[in-house]
Formats: sequence, C-alpha cells, structure tokens
Amino acid sequence: MLGAVALRHILRTIVAAWLILSVLFLLSRSTADPDSQLRNMVESNSRMGGLLEQPATSQQLLHRYGLYEPLFYATWQPATGWHWHGVQTQYHRWLKQLLHGDLGYSYRLEAPVWDVVKQALRYTLPLTLLAAALSIALALGVATATSYRPSARRWFIRVAHILQSFPLFLLALGLLLLLANPDALSWFPAFGLGPADQESTGWSRPGLLLYQLTLPIISLVLGSFPALAIQLDGALRHEFNRPYIATARAKGSSPAGIVWRHALRNAVLPTVTLLTELLPSIVAGSVVVEVVFALPGMGRLLADAALNQDFPVLLGGVGLVAMVRLGAQLLADVLYPILDPRIRPEV
Amino acid sequence: MLVWMGLLYACTAPTTRSPEGTVRIRWARDPENLDPLIVSNASAYEVANLTHCSLLMGREEAHDFVPWLAESFPTVKHLGDTLLQVTYRIRPEATWDNGTPVLARDVALTLKIMNCTGLPTEMAQAMFGFIRDIRLDSADARRFTLVCAGQSPEHIRSSGDFSVLPEYILDPQGQLRTVSLADMRRQPTLAAAQALARRYQRLQLARHPENLPGCGPYRLSAWQSGRYLTLRRKKSWWADVYPAPPYQLQAYPATLIYQVIPDAATATLALRRGEIDVYGLMPAAEFTRLQQSADDRQRLAFYTADAYEFLTASFNVRQPVLRDAATRRALGFLFDVPALIKATQQGAATPSAGLISPRMKEYYNDSLALPAFRPAQTVAMLRQAGWQRQPTGRWQRTSVQGTPQILRFGVSYRAGEPSFETAALQFRAAAEAIGIEVELRPTEQAVLSRQLQAGETDMCIRNYSGNPFSYDFTALLHSRGIGASNTTQFSSPLTDHLIEQITTTEDTRKKRLLLRKFQRVMAQEMPFMVLYFLKYRVAASRAIGVVPVSGLKPGYEAARISPIKTPL
Repeated sequence: MLGAVALRHILRTIVAAWLILSVLFLLSRSTADPDSQLRNMVESNSRMGGLLEQPATSQQLLHRYGLYEPLFYATWQPATGWHWHGVQTQYHRWLKQLLHGDLGYSYRLEAPVWDVVKQALRYTLPLTLLAAALSIALALGVATATSYRPSARRWFIRVAHILQSFPLFLLALGLLLLLANPDALSWFPAFGLGPADQESTGWSRPGLLLYQLTLPIISLVLGSFPALAIQLDGALRHEFNRPYIATARAKGSSPAGIVWRHALRNAVLPTVTLLTELLPSIVAGSVVVEVVFALPGMGRLLADAALNQDFPVLLGGVGLVAMVRLGAQLLADVLYPILDPRIRPEV
Repeated sequence: MLVWMGLLYACTAPTTRSPEGTVRIRWARDPENLDPLIVSNASAYEVANLTHCSLLMGREEAHDFVPWLAESFPTVKHLGDTLLQVTYRIRPEATWDNGTPVLARDVALTLKIMNCTGLPTEMAQAMFGFIRDIRLDSADARRFTLVCAGQSPEHIRSSGDFSVLPEYILDPQGQLRTVSLADMRRQPTLAAAQALARRYQRLQLARHPENLPGCGPYRLSAWQSGRYLTLRRKKSWWADVYPAPPYQLQAYPATLIYQVIPDAATATLALRRGEIDVYGLMPAAEFTRLQQSADDRQRLAFYTADAYEFLTASFNVRQPVLRDAATRRALGFLFDVPALIKATQQGAATPSAGLISPRMKEYYNDSLALPAFRPAQTVAMLRQAGWQRQPTGRWQRTSVQGTPQILRFGVSYRAGEPSFETAALQFRAAAEAIGIEVELRPTEQAVLSRQLQAGETDMCIRNYSGNPFSYDFTALLHSRGIGASNTTQFSSPLTDHLIEQITTTEDTRKKRLLLRKFQRVMAQEMPFMVLYFLKYRVAASRAIGVVPVSGLKPGYEAARISPIKTPL
C-alpha cells in the first residue's frame, strides 16, 4: 500500500516534469522568431557587423540549428485548418534527445548544454549550499536563543526586518565597499575566487576557497536568513501560547528545554516549506551575487543565455531548476509525515 | 566566524602584486568560444590575435593594414572586370611550434576548412567567401595567389585578415592538397573533406583551443570559462629573430592573465587593490573619480584614445513624419551635444559633423558645421517643411495624400545604457518644450534589433563602430544594405553611386574628395545624426610600465606592454 502511494507520487512527478519541460520548450520556441534571433546573433558578432551577407548567414545557421522545421506535430492555419507535420518537428527531435539525456547544444558556446550547466553548478553549488546551511543554522540559533529573551527578540526582529528590506545588490556592494576596499577595510578579494594566479593546491585549497567566498556567502546569508528566522520566530510564538507549553513550564522545564524539546518540533513544520523552497534557489544561483563577485555560476549563465537568446541553455537551466522544485515538493511530502505523525497516511 | 576565518587566511594569503613579466587585464566578458572559425566577440578576437597570425593586420597608426605573416603588402592584378588576383609571400622566418615553416599550403588548407561542409563555417564563408581560389607557386612554397571575386580595394585587405591554421595538425597526410577550393564547395561529400571535418570536430576547439596552437607569440595555458584565461609567451617565437621587430611582431609580456569581472565597480576595486593591472574601456565616471584621487594617481596611470565608435540618433526614413530630410535636419537642432558629452562622458568625447572621425583629418569634412542646440531653428525649419503649430501647441501638416499628419514619434534605445537614456531624455525635453510629442521606448537589445530590422522604429539612439582602414558604407547606407545593416532604410541614387565610387577607388586624392562630398550629402539628407565620437579610457598600474593604447577595441595593445623589470 505504502509502495503504491510512493509509486503514485513518483509517476505524478514524472508526468509533471514532462509537462513543464514541454511547455517551457514550446513557449520559448514559439515566442521567439528564430530568424530574427539568429540575425541578432550574426549582427552582434564583432566581425560580421557591417556585412551584406548577414541575412544569408542567418539562413544557414537556421538550418544548422534545426530551426527550419515545424515546431510541433500539428499547426493550425486559419485558412487551411489543422496541418499534420509528422515526426519531422523540432519538438519531436528535442524530446528524443531529452530521452537520451541530451539537452542539445548551446548556440553561443558551441558546447553541449549539459557540460555548460555542470560547469556552472561547480561554482554555484558550493556557494549556495554553504550559504543555505549557514542561513538555516543562523535562523535556528537566533530564533531559539531570543525566543525566551523578549528584549533581545525585539531587537533581533527589527534587525531582521531591516535586513529583509535591503535589495541583495545593495548588500553585496555594501560588503564589497566595506571589506574589500583599500579606502575602508581591505580584508577580502574584490572578486569571487580571486585572481587567477592565486590558485592553490593541497591542504590550503579549502582555506583559500573559504576566504575567497566569504563575501558572496555573507551576502547570500544576509539576504536569505531573515525570512527564515522571522517565520520560525512567528511559529515559535504561536507554539508558546499552546497548553502543552504551559504544562511543560508547570513541570519545571528550563526555557531552553521548552524550546528545543517541545516547541521547536511543532514550530519547524511551516519552516520545512520555506526550506524546500530554498532548494531550487540553490541550483539557480543568484545573478546579483554572481555578477558582483564575478563568479561564473548558474545565475550568470541563465542571465547571459536570456540576454543572448541562447534558448538551449536557457531551457536546460530553467528545466533543471523546475525539476529540483518538483523534487523539493516530493521531499516536503516525505518530510511532513516524519515530522508530524498526525499527517501520516493511514496504511 | 566566516569573517574571522577569512581574516586568519588573509594574514597568510599570497600577495596580489603581479609576478615580473605578467600583465593582468580585466575583461567584462568571457570569450565564450575560441574556435578560430567563429570568433564571435571582442575577447575571443583578442585571444585569436595573440595565438594565431593573419597575413595582414590593421594598424591604427598606419590607417591601413600592414604585413604580419606576409613578407610585404600583397601585389594586386585585375583579371577582367570582375576578378582580382592578390599575391602574397609568407615571411621566411615564420614557423609553427614544431619548427616547420608556415607555407602557402597552410593558407590553402585554412581556406578549405572555411568551405568544408559539416563545420561551423557560416560566418567565415560570409566574410571570406569572395576568395574563389588559391594558386600555389610551384617554384616557391611560400608564395601564393588568391583569386577574389569583385575588385574592391577592401577585398585586398580582407583577403589577409584571417588566422592561418597549421596543416600538420589538421591534415597531417596532406590529403587535401590535391582538392581545389572550388571542389570543396561543390562536393561536400568528398571523403577527404569529411575526414577533415571529423578531425577538426574532434579537436573541440570551441572549448579547447590549445589543441590547435597557432603561429602567434602566445599559447593558451589555462582557461576557466567565465573566470580567467592565461596566455604564456612562447619561449622561442619565430619573430624573436628580428633585432628590432615592427609593431605587429612585438610581444613582450611573458604571461597575460585575463580576468573576467563583469561588474564595473568590482573591476575598479580590483584595480585599486592591485588584483588586476589593466582596466580597458573604463566608464567615464569611474575614470574621472580615480583621476581625482591623489592616492590613485600615484599608483595608476590614465590613458585615453580617440575611438572610432560614435553615438548617433538615427531616423527611420520610411516613417511618414520622418520621410523628408528637412524635418530630420530640424530635429537635429534639438540635441545639446556639449551638454550631453559633459553628462555622459565627463566632457571627454569629440563632437563631429559626420560619420568620419574628426581625427581622420585627411577625410573628415571640416567645412560642415558641428551639431548645435538651436530649438528656435527647429521651429523655423519645421515651418519650412510644411508643419504648422496648432492652437493645442502640437505640430501638424497635410500629407501628399491629403491626410493630416501629427509630428509625433517614438525614440527607441537599448534599455539600461545610461548614455542612450540621457540623450533620449535630453531630446524629449527639448522637443516637448516646442510642442513635439516624443515617446521614449527603452527596449531590450534582442527586441530592438528585431524592430530595427523590421523597420518598426521611428528614431533610435545607438552606437556605431568604425575603423581607420575601411570606408565601405555599403551595408550601412546603400540600398543593398536595406534588410541587413541599413536600419535607417535610407538610400538614394546619388549616395549609392558615391558609396560605390568610394569603395572602388584606390586614388587617395579622389577618395578624399568623394568622402568629403559624401559627408556633405549625408549632412543634407541626415538619415542619422552623429552626436559624438567616444574616447576609450584605460587605467593601468604604473608598475607594469607604459600601456600602448588604441582607438580600436579593446583600447590597449596587450602584447606591446613592456613590463618594467623592477616593480614599483
């Protein structure tokens, strides 16, 4: 029975994934005019700018990228009605490639999309995973530590709200101008992973990496931890007014014991939703932080792909984020019953 | 905790001063693709010019192309009315990394690759498709003749402007030596051609250009896409035999490190902290701010170069209200160019009467008036063009078809570009003050390009790039350019004829007269108005010595930086 429930969940996720990716593919291809898209590409080429051959070249590129085929199996023409194209369509070719694990080729980089995405994830994941872990730890630590100290809690909530109101680019630039500035404190490198000739090997590598990523990580933590902390604080407040907390107090539990042993387990449930929301952001990266600190991660990759209309990369990146979101929802479905036995399905 | 750990590491972190002979340069954008057949952006072009050699190289000082891999400027012979024979000889000193000489057959193979089916050759074919054949000299392995379609002098220069690739890597058995260029085009299924395509693809040059070392002075040593790229000077480069090498054969830094830093503020901090040595194409405000700081003046040197890139307001002459030249000229008086230069370029730009840079004194028509801000003149000229001011304050006239026309149009520009936005805002303020309705349309780049190609814009603020070597305005302003780069849709029999004469004449005196006449006609017709020519700004650490600057992108000549021995 439990197996059937799990299978239903997985099947539902696979169908949702197929639907999402198909809609993304069809939307991205149908809204962009491939001819003008390739003309832009040719025009923006630093050497092709003033050539009369631009239209002919974009036609050749149209063929190389397979954009001359009909988009979908059938199209509707007001004059002739439905027209069936068979399987010689862009969608069919893309779906076949996808089933073989091939996300296509980047127009701009002339490289397989999966390789490009993997390369970007190498920079994004250490940054966002560290930032997410620190945000969760900080939110948990601060929210629980201040929950039984009213004056400290008031200050913490004010600071968290102020931090939340700052746009991320302001936080990142502020940190840069404060901690990587020869006119203020010149403690950290001005850009992400430091100069190319400052690479290190062996035992000093993790230390150097941490040193170089300090400012981007602090920017992300300051940007994401207030929301988590405020949510957790609200949930703890709610739990503190419940009768079981009064009972625990009456039995002589310490304030810290009440929070950690009784209130937190119930309070963390709504926060699980927020935590699973964090997962897609971990993969998607942060455009702002990656641009300010010159990190070639997923955020910058997707922004550049959108700017240059590199649809295979855009589709691959956005599709991956969508898949992670689906996975996160599946994870939340699994975590809820574990954390709260009341919502376990009856077997 | 992170800050403390960082501080702890900072105490033991390596110094940020560059090692002797190393120059670290900021790039705003990664080269993305280093396949020598593609070279799609300025960073990739910079790398290609340091790792490969072409037959000729454009030199700003000479205002012309100069021999690079070629021994001398090619000799030219006209064949009938339609063909051109361009004969080159390769320098005898030129060798590949394995010590074998660079020969005519390497050039032949490069051209065959450009015409090989199955390779990403579309752009190379568009640029060099006019080279119809190559004939090798049987008596001299370094001499060859290119047969070019068309007799434009531009073709002579373009015929030598591609990276020559080594045959010993791409066709080690010499299987393609017997295949002609025409056969490569005509017979895409040739077994030898297919084998070449497979070998070329196996090299994965887009991401691994080190698999195809060129005969340039540098070799790619490391590339982390989006982060940095390192080039190392070859220990023994063929041009080292020259005791006093000409400019195009000078290559001094032992290592060139290009650091990709997209954000301008971050790049400025990196320069001030000594993490990079050269910052090219610096924004005007940052440049001026650093110049004003006593500390920065001590550590940094500041350079400017007059560029060939200019800001324009271009009109779509097919829009009914902008169809007549008189209206376009009247609108030209609504730009306050000196104020615009002050606001967007901190006063450092050069106003111009036309599309040729005032620094090109030989060709610039200095008898034409510079743009002036005279709204009263606009009012008078609009009346002459048949517009009448209505009681509502707006302008109206009756078209040839008898329908009323209101002087109302949109100004499009790329969103997020401050200089475009300032020019558009200034124009709208001046236009609204005399009753002209102007709608600002900041547009995303790709959408704007599509609109320009489709003729859907009215007026557009944008930059154009020129150079001191070529005066071919065919794509930009000839009737044949409509549908390609002629986005103003302007053409006339007179200007078409002038453009054709300019591109075909080799007589400098005649070219000068034609170009001056062309500028006068353009000032009359005004399909676009040049607002100013930009200056490229370069800030660099004094520790690396003098940086040679250029009016061509990227604004500096990396190979000619001669790092001083003892850092300051």
